[in-house]
Amino acid sequence: METFAQAVVSGVLTGTLYAMIGIGLTIVFGVMRIINIAHGEMVMLGMFGAYWGQTLWKLDPFLSLLLWTPLMFLAGVLVYRLLVRPILGGGELNTLLYTAGLSLLVANVALLLWSGDYRTISLSYGATPLRPLGLSVAAPLAIAFAVALGLTGALWAFLARTNLGRAIRATSQNAEAAVLMGVDVERVALVTFGLGTALAGAAGVLLAPSLYLYPTVGELLIVKCFVVVVLGGLGSVPGAIAGGLLLGVVESLGAVYVSAAYKDGIGFALFLAVLLYRPSGLFGVGR
Amino acid sequence: MRRALPWVVGVAAALAPLALGDPFLLHVCILVLMWTLLGAAWNVLGGFAGQVSFGHAALFGVGAYATMILYLKLGVAPWWGILLGGALAAAASLPVGLVCFRLRGPYFSLATLAVAELFRLLALNWESLTNGPVGFLITALPQIAPFGHPVDWESKATFYVMAALLAAGALAATAWLKRSRLGAYLVAVREDEDAAEAVGIDTVRAKSVTLALSAFLAGLGGGFYALYFRYIDPDAVLQIGLSIEMVFIAVVGGLGTVGGPLVGALFLTVLGETMRHRLQVGHLVVYGAFMMLVIRFMPEGLWGRAHRLFVAVQARRSKHAALGG
Repeated sequence: METFAQAVVSGVLTGTLYAMIGIGLTIVFGVMRIINIAHGEMVMLGMFGAYWGQTLWKLDPFLSLLLWTPLMFLAGVLVYRLLVRPILGGGELNTLLYTAGLSLLVANVALLLWSGDYRTISLSYGATPLRPLGLSVAAPLAIAFAVALGLTGALWAFLARTNLGRAIRATSQNAEAAVLMGVDVERVALVTFGLGTALAGAAGVLLAPSLYLYPTVGELLIVKCFVVVVLGGLGSVPGAIAGGLLLGVVESLGAVYVSAAYKDGIGFALFLAVLLYRPSGLFGVGR
Repeated sequence: MRRALPWVVGVAAALAPLALGDPFLLHVCILVLMWTLLGAAWNVLGGFAGQVSFGHAALFGVGAYATMILYLKLGVAPWWGILLGGALAAAASLPVGLVCFRLRGPYFSLATLAVAELFRLLALNWESLTNGPVGFLITALPQIAPFGHPVDWESKATFYVMAALLAAGALAATAWLKRSRLGAYLVAVREDEDAAEAVGIDTVRAKSVTLALSAFLAGLGGGFYALYFRYIDPDAVLQIGLSIEMVFIAVVGGLGTVGGPLVGALFLTVLGETMRHRLQVGHLVVYGAFMMLVIRFMPEGLWGRAHRLFVAVQARRSKHAALGG
């Protein structure tokens, strides 16, 4: 029983971060119909941001969130304006291939700059695990979880309460109707791409102390991210949250009860099954 | 005479690296031809049928593992192993198609990505068959002497000839497909799948046959890789990067064209290998950059653009001739 509880808890902690990355991907898909393969590289950039912040300026990785999140937002806005927007008319498959190109480009520039070495971030307060209720939780992961929860909540409030948030949801539901209602779809797309990138970058900063850092880590993350958003239904924010938690818990339970080696396989099998039988996601909310 | 000219130039260009005999040049040429084969394999499905697969590494891997296992465990001569590897990849593609072709567009792409990762995990963990993460190593290739001429496995020239035959075969298959009835079906599927079904095309069958052909070619590529590099493991032959490289070569060369994969492979592999020669890592930066440039500025690819310009020049010339004569 204790093993079970332990597995579920660590699954939920990781799952929250998966969810955060997934939300970024899913809102961009909702508004622009782009499956952004370079999303994983945005997470990677956030991770390296945290690493260099600590290495060069002795900046605490979690504090550096305040620096990197706005910068990633800006980067997202620029990428959208300069690179993505010009090719949006070319159809879904073209944009998919285009973002695959962007993904390879960013990962390889990172390889050129920082080499392929595996790096880690060590924290003075990361050594001793927290022990709530007799369970053991790594401190960096617990902090990341708390911050991710806060950020996701803030995003939720933004989408639900503000005019811009409503405009984003409206465009995501029906872009043509949104235009007719006077929504500036172009601005919505710009903000959404920025937000998606900022979420990915922030998740990267939060994950950095818990994972190995290397320039091609995005490849691994993007595949997990696809699983998350397809489980929840592409384009749906609540779906991405549920999908993230589900993947986190399934992986964690799978590692304990099936085998660590096939832990990722379980996620993919689930992914294929959902794609085939519930292409609109487990909750039937996506498209 | 004018029709024969391109063939003469082609054969001369193919023989030139052999005559020069520089090992690095030959190595790059072998890679170009291997990637031509793989780009052509992907192009058959992605270019003609419009089904963007991100999972062709799985089929490449099946070919590579089949060739290795057949040779090392059962003693099947590797040249038969390459062909059998292609056939096995084609067989493996049938259930994959059954599952993935129920999905369309980007959903198909995501599904193939997941399938490829499942294949990789299987190879990593099914240790009794695949040796797991350790992989396979060929220490010696068998002595043979076709036409009384012993084959020198240490010479790159041998592999160059093999790669050239395989790549030429793949391009010939593409040319055949382009003129065939199946090719016409595929273009119809690519342009509008519902309309294709409405006029009576069995789209699932057309796509499955094409996937099998594509898988056969990718499997041949995998088998050739295993023989040439003599070492395989899941990270070498089943990684996502391989699938992506195949896509890029086909797209940069020109989707749905016969010569595209050759042009794409020539362009990207030569650039990439030259950079790999200079830098330790990150040589794929040119792949990403060219992919984006091509999609933005010439979606028909290098070959497609060159072909269009050629046709335009021909048309103008014949118009001039008509007016002048």
